Amino acid sequence: MTDNQIPAELVMTGIAKVYGTNRAIDDISATVPAGQVTVIVGPSGAGKTTLLRIICGLDAPTSGQVHFDGAPIDGVPDGLAMVFQDYSRSLFPWLRVEANVGFPLRRIDKKLRRSRVMEALEAVGLAGKEHLYPWEMSGGMQQRVAIARALACHPRLLVMDEPYASVDAQTRAELEDLLLTIQATMKITVLVVTHDIDESVYLADNIIVLSKAPSRVSEEIPVRLARPRDQITTKEDAEFIRLRAHVLRLLRNIPEAPTGAGSLAAKVTA
Amino acid sequence: MKLISEPLSLLKRIVLGVIGTLGIGLILEVLIRTRVISGAGLPLPSAVVRQGYHLLGNTAFLTQVFYTLREWMLGLLIASVVGVILGGLMGAIPTVFTMFSLPVEVLRPLPAIAIGPLLLLLLGTSMLPMSLTVAAACVWPILFNAMYAMRSVDPVAVQTAKTMHVSPLGIMARVRLPASLPFMFTGIRVSASIGLIVAVSVELLLGSGGGIGGYILLASTSASNLDVVYAATAVTGLLGVLVSGLFALADRAAFGWKKGLAQ
Ligand SMILES: Nc1ncnc2c1ncn2[C@@H]1O[C@H](COP(=O)(O)OP(=O)(O)O)[C@@H](O)[C@H]1O
Ligand SMILES: [Mg+2]
Repeated sequence: MTDNQIPAELVMTGIAKVYGTNRAIDDISATVPAGQVTVIVGPSGAGKTTLLRIICGLDAPTSGQVHFDGAPIDGVPDGLAMVFQDYSRSLFPWLRVEANVGFPLRRIDKKLRRSRVMEALEAVGLAGKEHLYPWEMSGGMQQRVAIARALACHPRLLVMDEPYASVDAQTRAELEDLLLTIQATMKITVLVVTHDIDESVYLADNIIVLSKAPSRVSEEIPVRLARPRDQITTKEDAEFIRLRAHVLRLLRNIPEAPTGAGSLAAKVTA
Repeated sequence: MKLISEPLSLLKRIVLGVIGTLGIGLILEVLIRTRVISGAGLPLPSAVVRQGYHLLGNTAFLTQVFYTLREWMLGLLIASVVGVILGGLMGAIPTVFTMFSLPVEVLRPLPAIAIGPLLLLLLGTSMLPMSLTVAAACVWPILFNAMYAMRSVDPVAVQTAKTMHVSPLGIMARVRLPASLPFMFTGIRVSASIGLIVAVSVELLLGSGGGIGGYILLASTSASNLDVVYAATAVTGLLGVLVSGLFALADRAAFGWKKGLAQ
């Protein structure tokens, strides 16, 4: 893609969110490094969606701050694109694929807009599908449209909330690889929320593990698995297996096994 | 084996509908001719059909049909504009809802027909007071559909637009309005049928001579013309069927995408 955008960095400091008497997020501080894939994993109800809404500027934290490239967030940051979990509600059913993807580009000249739409559709493997309506497509294809729409904005930070939670396993694997390919070619910062442990390890350069609500960061885990990743070989790598066990223990609050856990075991104190 | 609920083809439905209608007509014809039911001025179906056929070639009658149609369309148009704008704003903006919910609740139970004579007094004998009466009856389904549709637009769709830096006005025009249009149209469709009934009723009530209602009123002054009265009434019914069919077609053509709305 013809883009010389610099990927964005995101820093969360002391984020807390209280709904009435319900403390959803207790205290989250973490960094999403520029140009990498960061995955937030946490149990259902941990406030992951709430945290993303705060990052997107859709909602204000009760306390704490988010910095987008050093500037505190006040409203939706420029250069951020969001992919929602529920594509069927996030895509506009009255618009064809082309108009859906071009929706955020209304200020752009028509010819340029069309070329950016086509480029984005090409990137997600949907070239030639621009005249369909989203509801004429399978779930996986619809989520590709949603990703294309985010990419058409040429974002510097791509935020995704459980993007593959409602597609089948085969499609999920395809979409995971698609995301990694896009990230590698476009060099954007990606922040993905998931509750799927395998997915978190497979995608991530960094995993942020959240405790259950009121949530805190249990641990930030760097993932040093080789890229490009592969659904078969990466997932049979001993390091992959060790990491997923580690994340699972963190989520289930089980102490690290005494054997073979190595240096990481010492970190599990939270 | 056939499923019990297997949907019928359009052709089958039309054939069955025609058979049913003819059947009722035939039974009525037999009952009257054999004097099982008797009395002056009963509608003999064959006579009504013959009279109806004559009416459709009668320019005086057709002029009145078009008068009614214009009156009805004007009323429906006024109701649509008012209902969509007021209902839409009430659904989208809580302040507007609070301002207008009491007047709406007070006005809604008033029978539209009752304000017809009042309007005639105020505006004089013309089409306008009758159209306004039609509008008064048609506005409610449109207004309430518009209000609920705008209020229940999917928050995910709205948030999606917000993350794309769409302004509040842009969200109104590019998300809330298009998402609500199919339901607004459903309101208009419902009102279209109601409106035709009200149009003819108000013509009968006000007796200013215009429209199908005026024609029926005139014909009914002479007992020998009762078949004409029945035929004109039947034509009104057919007009209603035609109107609702056209609106159903328009609905399918314009809002076929609504099956893509979540839920
Ligand atoms: N708009 C809201 N009003 C009140 N409570 C909310 C709202 N949004 C989320 N919550 C609460 O915050 C908690 C975290 O929700 P959420 O962020 O959706 O979790 P997750 O995405 O991790 O499953 C839940 O207890 C939920 O009920
Ligand atoms: Mg969530």
